[in-house]
Amino acid sequence: TATRAQSGLLERAGSAGVAVLATGGVASGPGPGRPGPLQDETLGVASVPSQWRAVQGIREETKSCQTASIATANASAQARNHVDAQVQTEAPVPVSVQPLSRYDVPRLAAFLRRVEAMVIRELNKNWQSHAFDGFEVNWTEQQQMVSCLYTLGYPPAQAQGLHVTGISWNSTGSVVACAYGRLDHGDWSTLKSFVCAWNLDRRGLSPRQPSAVVEVPSAVLCLAFHPTQPSHVAGGLYSGEVLVWDLSRPEDPLLWRTGLTDDTHTDPVSQVAWLPEPEHSHRFQVLSIATDGKVLLWRGVGAGQLQLTEGFALVMQQLPRSTKLKKHPRGETEVGATAVAFSSFDPRLFILGTEGGFPLKCSLAAGEAALTRMPSSVPLRAPAQFTFSPHGGPIYAVSCSPFHRNLFLSAGTDGHVHLYSMLQAPPLTSLQLSLKYLFAVRWSPVRPLVFAAASGEGDVQLFDLQKSSQKPTVLIKQTQDESPVYCLEFNSQQTQLLAAGDAQGTVKVWQLSTEFTEQGPREAEDLDLLAAEVAT
Amino acid sequence: NEAEEILNRIKNHKGVVGILVVNSEGLIIKSTFDEQQSDLHATLLTQLSDKARDVVRELDPQNDISFLRLRSKKHEIMIAPDKEYTLIVVQDPYAHKDSS
Repeated sequence: TATRAQSGLLERAGSAGVAVLATGGVASGPGPGRPGPLQDETLGVASVPSQWRAVQGIREETKSCQTASIATANASAQARNHVDAQVQTEAPVPVSVQPLSRYDVPRLAAFLRRVEAMVIRELNKNWQSHAFDGFEVNWTEQQQMVSCLYTLGYPPAQAQGLHVTGISWNSTGSVVACAYGRLDHGDWSTLKSFVCAWNLDRRGLSPRQPSAVVEVPSAVLCLAFHPTQPSHVAGGLYSGEVLVWDLSRPEDPLLWRTGLTDDTHTDPVSQVAWLPEPEHSHRFQVLSIATDGKVLLWRGVGAGQLQLTEGFALVMQQLPRSTKLKKHPRGETEVGATAVAFSSFDPRLFILGTEGGFPLKCSLAAGEAALTRMPSSVPLRAPAQFTFSPHGGPIYAVSCSPFHRNLFLSAGTDGHVHLYSMLQAPPLTSLQLSLKYLFAVRWSPVRPLVFAAASGEGDVQLFDLQKSSQKPTVLIKQTQDESPVYCLEFNSQQTQLLAAGDAQGTVKVWQLSTEFTEQGPREAEDLDLLAAEVAT
Repeated sequence: NEAEEILNRIKNHKGVVGILVVNSEGLIIKSTFDEQQSDLHATLLTQLSDKARDVVRELDPQNDISFLRLRSKKHEIMIAPDKEYTLIVVQDPYAHKDSS
C-alpha cells in the first residue's frame, strides 16, 4: 500500500524521472527500462497465523465426577475373656558344655594320616612366612589424636564451688554420671550436693543440662553404676551413708539408703562398688569402704533399707607382717581404707588402698574375727591376707588388671604409680607421674599395657608400657588453671571414650586415638613377661 | 595309638596354640582347649567350614574344598575338612618374633 501511495504522489508531481522511480517499486528483475539489482524494493506483507494456544482459544468442555457414596454401618465389639500374662527377661543361664563324643578309632586314625602332611606343611609355611609382616587391616575409622568430645557441667553445682568427686559409666556405656562434693580438707557436713547424669546417645544433648539430677543432702564422695541395671547408681556420702538411686524415676529417685545406724560408717565413704551375690550371680550387693577401717556389704531389703550382710574391719595388729610398717603415730588401731579394686579373675579377691600408703590383698572368704570394738549387727572379720610395700603417702586409687590375674596399680599422694604383682611385696615398677598428688589410676579395658592416671596438676596421663615405661605417651591437659583432676573412668562398651572430672566441676569426655583402643597381636603375652619379672 | 601320636606331633609343632577334631555333625572328638573355648571353636568353625565348602561348590560344581585358612590379627586358624571328621589347628605365627 505504501508503494501505491508513493506512485500517486509522484505522478501528480509529473516528472519523467519520478515515473522511473515509481515503476522501480514493482518487484521484478532487471530488464530494459527497469532499474538495476541493487535497488530498494518493498514487498507485500506476509503474515503467519499464531500457534499460541491463548490466541487460538481454549477448547472447553464441561465434565463432572462424583465419588460413589460410601456405605457405612455401625457395629460394636467387646472382648469377653481376657487373660493377664507377664513377661520377664531372665539373666542368661550359662550354656552347658557337651561332653566328648564317641568315635571310631581306626577311621579317625585314617583321617589323621590323610591330613597330617598337609597340615604340617601349612604350619611350617606359616612359621617361616613373611607374607603378612607389616600388613595391617583397619576396621575402624582411624583417630590420630585425642580430642575432647564433650565438656559437661551442672552450673548450680559449679556456682557453689563443688568438685566432681566421682564418675561412673552405666552398664550400656551410654550414660555418664558424676557426683559433686568437695575433696579438700574441711568440714563439709552441711554441704548439699548433686548427682548428675548425661545420656550421650540422646539427640539434643545439652552439656549444661544433665538428663537426670538428684539433690543430695550431703556431699557425695564416690559413685558407681549397677553392672546390669542401666539406671541404678550407688553413692557414698560425707556423712558415711550409702545411697542407691534409680535415675529413671525423676520424681523420687532414692531407692535404698543405709540410714544412720550403728552399722553405718563413721567417716566419709571413700568408695562404693557393686558385687554379685555369692549364690545368685545376677543379683548384686553394694560394698562400701571408709577411713574408719570398715569394709561393709549391703543388700537392699524391704522399704528402701540397705541392710548390712557382711562386714570387715582393718585392725593394725591383724595386718599380715609381710612388710615392716611404721607404727601409727596416734596409736589408733583402725586402718583407714581409701580405695578398693576387685580382681577380674577371682571374684572374692580384692585389693584395698589404705591411708598408711600400703596396699592390702584381702579376701571376702576370710574367716578370722576382727579385734575391734566398733559396734556392728554382723560379726566383723579381718580380711587382709598380704601387705605390700607402702607408698610415701596415702593411696587414693587402686586398679586390678583385667588381663593379668596378678597385676594391679596403685597411686597416691606421693605422686607415684606403683605396679605390683600379688606374688611379692615390693612393687615391680614405681613411676613418678606428678609432683603433686595422683587422684585416680585405671587400667584400660582393651589394651593390656595401657593405663590412665589423673593428677593434681590438672592433667590426665595415658601410659603405654609398650611404648615407654618412663614417661606418659599422651598428656591431656584437662584444666586450664592446673586445678586437679579428681576422677577418671574408661567406658568399657565404647572403648574409645574416657571421662574425667575435675575441681572446677566439669566432666570432660575424651575420645582416644586408635592406638589406645586396638590391641596389638602380642600384647597379652608382653604383659605376662612384665608380670614375670618377679624378684626372686 | 596312631591317632594320638599324630595329634601330638601337630600339637607340639612350633607356635600351635591348640587343636580340635570334630565329626561331621560338629561334635567334639578331641580338643586341647578348655570346655568353653572348645565349644565355641567347634560350633563356629564347622559353620564356617560348611559355608566355605558351599561357596567353592557353587562357584564350580566340579570343585570341592581341600583346606581353609583364616588369618586374624593374633592367630591363624587352619581347617582340614573331610567327609567324616574335621581337623582344626590354631597357630600363633608371631610366637617366635618377640624382638621387644
